[in-house]
Amino acid sequence: MYKLIEFIRSTYVVVLFVLLEAIMIGHYARSTHYARARLLAKATQVVGGSEHALAGIRRYFQLERENRELLAYAASLQERLANYEAAALSDLSVHPFVLHAADTTTVEQPDSLHPKEDGNHRRNIKHRQYRTVPATVISNTINKPENFLVLNRGSRHGVRQEMAVLSSGGAMVGYVVDCTERYAIALSVLSNSFRTSGKLSGTDYAGLIYWDGTDPHIVLMSDLSKYAEPKPGQEVETTTGSLFFPDGIKIGRIIEAHLNETGTTYTARVELTAHLSGLSHVILVENRDLDEIQNLQKSENIKQYIRP
Amino acid sequence: MYRTFPYIVLFVLTLIVQVFLLDSLAISIYFAPMIYLAFLLLLPLDTAHVKLLLAGLATGWLMDYTMGTDGLNVIATLPVAFLRPWIIGWFYTREDPREGGIPSEARFGKSKFIRYIAACILLHHLLFFSFEALSWVHLDRTLLRIVTSSAVSVLFIWLTARLFTLKLTARI
Repeated sequence: MYKLIEFIRSTYVVVLFVLLEAIMIGHYARSTHYARARLLAKATQVVGGSEHALAGIRRYFQLERENRELLAYAASLQERLANYEAAALSDLSVHPFVLHAADTTTVEQPDSLHPKEDGNHRRNIKHRQYRTVPATVISNTINKPENFLVLNRGSRHGVRQEMAVLSSGGAMVGYVVDCTERYAIALSVLSNSFRTSGKLSGTDYAGLIYWDGTDPHIVLMSDLSKYAEPKPGQEVETTTGSLFFPDGIKIGRIIEAHLNETGTTYTARVELTAHLSGLSHVILVENRDLDEIQNLQKSENIKQYIRP
Repeated sequence: MYRTFPYIVLFVLTLIVQVFLLDSLAISIYFAPMIYLAFLLLLPLDTAHVKLLLAGLATGWLMDYTMGTDGLNVIATLPVAFLRPWIIGWFYTREDPREGGIPSEARFGKSKFIRYIAACILLHHLLFFSFEALSWVHLDRTLLRIVTSSAVSVLFIWLTARLFTLKLTARI
């Protein structure tokens, strides 16, 4: 008995070490990036206040560029609005007044009130598929394999999981993976687990957008058809196939592209439009139809058409 | 423990610098210095083995909590804490390490002290970045990250150690 106690006394540090290390490795192996994001969200609530102050200083120095981007974005929005109004006016069945009224109200009016006249423009506005929430970036990393943004808006402000995150200039940044009452965590496009589809602007050639973990300004676009013939400078934007991101959101510009060994697809290097290293304001976009689409995808009815 | 207060200051300060400065700098993927290990490396030579282990657990756990890494820091920090007595044994054979005092440049000699820091940091970063990557796909990049970040970490911790021992001699 005495010998046993002596043995335990001489080896308990080793046992403790092996035990703790094994527990931690087991725990780490089971954790997903969602779990890590949740942990970060919790930690943010603790250190959030002081990070806020630091973020305030950082923001101050980025105001000028941020302002420039916002102005450019406002201008482009104005241009789109003008085009839109012009299109609506040329469509005689829709009076501009109706258009504006529809824009400010969210109350669904029965279609029977406007039989026939219900043009596509009006229906699009009335439905308002996307809802936006502006937010400020509290912390943001670009130097890890999985990078997350901590945002100062949470469920209290209407932030939900899987909302798209766009830069103030309207370019793709990431999507929300978790949120607490006051904060949200978004997975940045600079993450090994981030995948989305992108297409060459003005064409239907689409590819897979992902980050290879090296340069925080560059993402890769693979599986691009050999007929696409991407050229440097060509813009890349999101596709309709993405559930999180609205159609036509800028991703970046092609720097270079090369055919793969079998000559069937291109892999292109894309310079991100959003400056992820100096991000201070972002826009969160919710696809209101996401739940409906996801529920439909899970539908039992699908299974009967799949051969086991 | 007559040096309890300086160690608490060291612990808190390195943690604050790590969380609010280094972690939010995010300069490049090849630049991720870890200054928080200074606390563990500068604990007195006669610190009980189990206390070292618990100190490693505490710093690692706190860093995991603030960095959102879910166990990664503990995985890397525990072996450093556990192996520290043997690592010190490699470089410091002149006297019995158990006699007390803190690991410092004055005690070890400059080159041995830096090699001691480098050995601990390399061990830590090797585990940290390998577990972070969890694949052999980008082995070259992971190795580069280990080397560059280790170099910066060693420099930062060496500076911290100098500041720390400077303050101690002034105090005692």
